[in-house]
Amino acid sequence: MSTKNMIKISNLQKYYRTEEVETVALNNLNIHVKEGEFVAVMGPSGCGKSTLLNIIGLLDDLDEGSYLFNDIEVAKFKERGRSDLRKHNIGFVFQSFNLIDELTVFENVELPLVYTNVPAAERKRRVEEVLEKVQIMHRRNHFPQQLSGGQQQRVAVARAVVNNPKLILADEPTGNLDSNNGNEVMQLLTELNEAGTTIVMVTHSEHDAKFSDRVIRMLDGQVIMETSALKQNG
Amino acid sequence: MIFKYIKAGWRNLKKSKFYTAINILGLSISIATAILILLWVQDEISFDRFHKDYKQIYNVHNIWKGGDKEQISNNTPGPVGFYAKDVPAIESSVRIAGEYSGVISLKDQKDVYSGLSIAYADSSFFRFFSFPLIQSSKPNVLTYLDEVTISETLQKKLFNGQDAIGKTLLLRKTPFLVTGVFQDMPQNSSLRYDAIFPMAYLAKSFTENGGNGVWKTIDEDLGNYYFDTYLKLRPETDPEQAIAQINNRFIQARDGNTNTTFKLGSFADKHLIAPDGNKSALRMVQIFAVVALLLLFIGAINYVNLSTARAMDRAKEVSIRKIVGASRQQLFFQFMAETFLTFTLATFVAAIWVGLSFSAYNSISGKSMVFDIHNSALWILIGSALLLTVLLSSIYPAIQLSSFKPISALKGRSSKPKNSIFRKGLVVFQYTTSIILIICTLVIQKQMKYIREFNLGYDTSYIFTVPLNEGSIENKSTVETKLAADPAIVSYSINGLYDPMSYGNSTGDIDWPNRPKDYALIVGRATIDKNFIPLMGMKFVEGGNIKGTPADSSSYIINETLAKQMGLKKPYLGAQMSLHEVPGTVVGVVKDFNFNNLKTPIGPMVFWTHRFAGTLYVKTTALNAQKAIEKVKAIYDSYPSEQPFEYTFLDSKFDQLYKSDLRTGLLFNIFASIAIFVSSLGLLALATNSAQTKVKEIGIRKVLGASIAQIVKLLGREFVVLLGIAILIAGPLAWYFSNEWLANFSFKTELSLWIFLVGASIALLIAGITIGYQAIRAAKVNVIDSLRDE
Repeated sequence: MSTKNMIKISNLQKYYRTEEVETVALNNLNIHVKEGEFVAVMGPSGCGKSTLLNIIGLLDDLDEGSYLFNDIEVAKFKERGRSDLRKHNIGFVFQSFNLIDELTVFENVELPLVYTNVPAAERKRRVEEVLEKVQIMHRRNHFPQQLSGGQQQRVAVARAVVNNPKLILADEPTGNLDSNNGNEVMQLLTELNEAGTTIVMVTHSEHDAKFSDRVIRMLDGQVIMETSALKQNG
Repeated sequence: MIFKYIKAGWRNLKKSKFYTAINILGLSISIATAILILLWVQDEISFDRFHKDYKQIYNVHNIWKGGDKEQISNNTPGPVGFYAKDVPAIESSVRIAGEYSGVISLKDQKDVYSGLSIAYADSSFFRFFSFPLIQSSKPNVLTYLDEVTISETLQKKLFNGQDAIGKTLLLRKTPFLVTGVFQDMPQNSSLRYDAIFPMAYLAKSFTENGGNGVWKTIDEDLGNYYFDTYLKLRPETDPEQAIAQINNRFIQARDGNTNTTFKLGSFADKHLIAPDGNKSALRMVQIFAVVALLLLFIGAINYVNLSTARAMDRAKEVSIRKIVGASRQQLFFQFMAETFLTFTLATFVAAIWVGLSFSAYNSISGKSMVFDIHNSALWILIGSALLLTVLLSSIYPAIQLSSFKPISALKGRSSKPKNSIFRKGLVVFQYTTSIILIICTLVIQKQMKYIREFNLGYDTSYIFTVPLNEGSIENKSTVETKLAADPAIVSYSINGLYDPMSYGNSTGDIDWPNRPKDYALIVGRATIDKNFIPLMGMKFVEGGNIKGTPADSSSYIINETLAKQMGLKKPYLGAQMSLHEVPGTVVGVVKDFNFNNLKTPIGPMVFWTHRFAGTLYVKTTALNAQKAIEKVKAIYDSYPSEQPFEYTFLDSKFDQLYKSDLRTGLLFNIFASIAIFVSSLGLLALATNSAQTKVKEIGIRKVLGASIAQIVKLLGREFVVLLGIAILIAGPLAWYFSNEWLANFSFKTELSLWIFLVGASIALLIAGITIGYQAIRAAKVNVIDSLRDE
């Protein structure tokens, strides 16, 4: 793990507004994540974990504060800049897998490479490599509905890493899986982390949190505690 | 990348089969119908534009002024074309005169061909127009008195396809040598002839027959108006100036004593704009073009409505694509590609529809259109219409779908309110066009019914007409005796109305005491016998019929319009007048009757007994019609003649007058029905989608005790409100358009309120059926299923 900060968020404020009420989702939040670090974010439902993850992933705006990604201020980036930064640096894994039903396993994994204009032959090589790695190669021509939950999440992980992102953001990656499949996915993430990928994972599971280097605990939009986890290996 | 877009698009189409089917069906029907309409439109506007110099060609119209009345027609006297030769601004000119016998025979008069379209033309004809000569035996045809040019089809007919050049044919027993064969004149030509004879021959006959009074040649004869004169102006010439010089010559020749002047009408407009400026034909073409566009709009709106209504189904996919790196532009093009794919499929299906319906369409529209794949103008028209539709259909959904915020969309939140106002606007537009089309359809039907049932002022039933041959005319009294003796013949008349629609012939040579000095009238005049008015069932408003005695030679029967235009006061009887300087007395006034189509007002008309009467009218009965025809034919054939026996029933002749109106009305109704159907398809899909998106709400309401009727009301309410708004917008617009259309008719039906009420009710009914069905289905769904889905 490097000592350099990949993510440095300072004084982050995030509000949700409706016509009548304004809710503070994140309140004066400060966090940092070092390159190669595996961080778990925990807290009760509604504490702002997923909002934080979306802001880190540049899927959502912040209202106030600063967000340095690799020392670049990205808080004020426009749609195109965010999209560029995202597609070259960040991979996402969701609780509900979020695969596109109309695309095959191969095509789902290939998608990020398509959008970064990787040539077809290179795409094929890289997709197959990553499918081998997550042991789903034999299902490459199947559609998501034809796979089990564990298999779908392995495909989602494959898609998240196919572009060799520096950062993986995982939002409750085992939430929809049984313990065996859950462990397999956590094992995969750990391997990626050991290979140098930074991981930020939102989770409810103390078990999963143990795979991380550090746990950030949140309540009502604020960080209330940060602890180093006793890292376990499956 | 494009391949990937298309693949993704194809899978999406396959995934939602119902919506895909509705989209493809609706779009393909819209496109096919629009193509058919545009073909018709293109055919109509292409008339006479195939001539190389069509922009420089003008048709000379005569304007005959009588008091505050003005009559404009195509015919000119011979000298107009002759004067043109001396006008520097006129490059060339050509005169055409119809030869109405329509009969050509081969040697010995054995093979007789009738019903042909024949004309005499100046020798400049083939250089003036772009009618290619396929074969000719000399460089310039129509220069000799005894030569003729015939069409390719006539060559086949007369000479069994053998070379006609050098062969002889007979017109009115005179032999003519075929010196040229021209390509058949296209169906989008207002000039269509089977044979063209030299004007020099007509000129010679005219002179040999003594000419017309002091005028001994057709180039001098200022009295007979039987030429169509065409002028080709030099480029950049002002038509007004060109015709002014001809008018000056004409006025000089008439010593300043004339009510006639001439004006030029563009040849390219001849088919769609009448000489008097009546643009009803052009208006119909414009209406059809608008209907074609409306159909494409409706198809496009269906697509846009469905795409945007179903946007939430695509939200997850869009979000994921964005999260993994798709730019907005890439997503925009993906959705554009999907629309193009849908349109390609729809166009393919549309091509099948067009292929299947083409011959039926030709027969309904009364045209013989061909889908000419080399016709670039047609492709440009169809291509731009399609492109416009594709762009209209694709851009908004593509912008909307590609603009989703990924996280919101993943969680099922979208910018719904804005989108739904847009969609509601489109639904209102669609309802509005449907209602306008329904109301216009009803108005057109009402006018068609009015035309069919219009009281013409006489009875055409079981009357047939026969142009008599020379022998029958010479032996008129024998013929009459034979006709009178036949029980199959109810009554008969021998008169001068060869073509009743032409009101005999028009003349300005009418006078009466106290006629204001500068007040002239153009009246229709016809030679009749005492049987004519009773046979036609015309009614007298004053006085009575001629008696069939020598005293008739100074008797006139006029119609009400003429009585009014002459300024006669009641009682009209005994009024003095003269026609062609023959003095006489008005003995009867007939109720106005209509010999023309209902777009033309009734003109003044006078009946007398002078001049040539060569047409036989026979009234018979349904039962005896065949016997009567056989009897007349036997009488006719007893006098040898080159002119074959021909008969026409008056009612079918009058049907022809309205045929084009009835046909266009029918076409409009078909197109409007298709547009309404496509609209309904879109609304059905929209209602289905609306029910699907409210599954959870319906479930909860049912758990809480809502009845099926209440659920149906919930789902239908929104559409009913939109329909109400559409009715309010459509009513005045439909009233305006219907009035505009009816303004083309001199005799027209009333625009009653019930038409609007029925129109709105039909729209309500159609909406009720499409939406109600979906609403009831949705309301009946098992609550547990609908809630579990959520």
